[in-house]
Amino acid sequence: MAKTFHLEIIATDRVFFEGEVEHLVITAIDGLLGILPGHEPLVTCLPTGELKYMVNGKWKYAAISEGFIQVMPESSIILADTCELPEEIDIKRAEAAKERAEEQLRQKQSIKEYYQTQAALNRAMNRLKISQKHFK
Amino acid sequence: MPNMREIRERIASIQQILKITNAMYLMSSSKLKKARKSLEATEPYFYKLQSTIDSVLEHTPHTRQQFFDRRADIPEEKRKKGYIVITADKGLCGSYNHNIMKYTEQELAKAADIDNCYLFVMGQVGRMHFQRKMRVDGEFLYTTQNPTLYRAGEIADMVIDKFDNGELDEVYLIYTDMINSSQQETRTLRLLPFERRHFGKAADGTMKKLPKASFMPSPEEVMNYLIPQYAKGIIYGAMVEAFCCEQQSRMTAMDAATTSAKDMIKELSLMYNRARQAAITQEITEVCGGAASLDE
Repeated sequence: MAKTFHLEIIATDRVFFEGEVEHLVITAIDGLLGILPGHEPLVTCLPTGELKYMVNGKWKYAAISEGFIQVMPESSIILADTCELPEEIDIKRAEAAKERAEEQLRQKQSIKEYYQTQAALNRAMNRLKISQKHFK
Repeated sequence: MPNMREIRERIASIQQILKITNAMYLMSSSKLKKARKSLEATEPYFYKLQSTIDSVLEHTPHTRQQFFDRRADIPEEKRKKGYIVITADKGLCGSYNHNIMKYTEQELAKAADIDNCYLFVMGQVGRMHFQRKMRVDGEFLYTTQNPTLYRAGEIADMVIDKFDNGELDEVYLIYTDMINSSQQETRTLRLLPFERRHFGKAADGTMKKLPKASFMPSPEEVMNYLIPQYAKGIIYGAMVEAFCCEQQSRMTAMDAATTSAKDMIKELSLMYNRARQAAITQEITEVCGGAASLDE
């Protein structure tokens, strides 16, 4: 039995995951970050991206959007806006969101609107990518 | 003895109202079920967010960060205070709106200078109430129905923008918290600037004190990202709590209204029957009296 640490992933609409994991890989602002048991205390933010964690030697994947992580040697907490398993992703909805965002990007917008649309596009692309990668 | 026709009309009108209150009761109870579900789903996030940020702040090295800026250079009475108040979109929900408006007025009375207070009111009832006597932000138009993360994000962005520009020096959030299904409490939460002791009670005090954590890429950068995130999460959580409370109090109020309407109908129909009997008795007496006078 490999060493494990306690991981909690809490999204705004539910508790996504709670349990012991052996390994966690997150996408931080400046790249992938692997976390093993006994990691030093760390706080970092998570942009929209992919997340994977190992339970009993098996990798599990999830799509995450906007959040942050607090790492402690024996436990970690991820708080995020949304978090979904690849099979839960609504591909049609993500595609529609992507198209809508692309459409809006072509129009003139204020800088704020531009950032918002870009973030929406980012989320949609991330969902599509992850569901295509892990769920056929 | 009141007129029979009057009583009949009265009963009919109460029956009409009974139908309305009953329908509203059913509607609010189904909405409450939905709101409860989303509250249950959001509550872990809401409390965990507060406790996590709390412990993150304990590990944060002292930074000259804009969100911690207490505006010490401005005297206390000159600081511009913003209040986000969450009320309902319509009445008919017992004392829910009244409580929150009274509470807000008390909070405002505590402030040093009323002219430096800015209100951001969600929900029509509160807007209408405060517009008459206070400065209410006219562009701040948000409904409290079915809270969404998107709406919370917009509000958080707006408030943080204003804080950055110096249009506001302190930001508070006033909402109704659901303690259990029969108990509600209006409370204030300070959003900005950040201060450690202002984080509410954590759901569990399990977090151990640890030496300074490391921040990637840098504490400032993480805070820049984390604080808007926190504001958004807190506003969303408060919106969900308030919406649930609103439905709860509407349901209770409508239930009470339905019951008292039923009571009134009962009482009135008793009165009606008495009046009817009296009328019949009187008629019989009259007929008998008439017949007797003919006999003589």
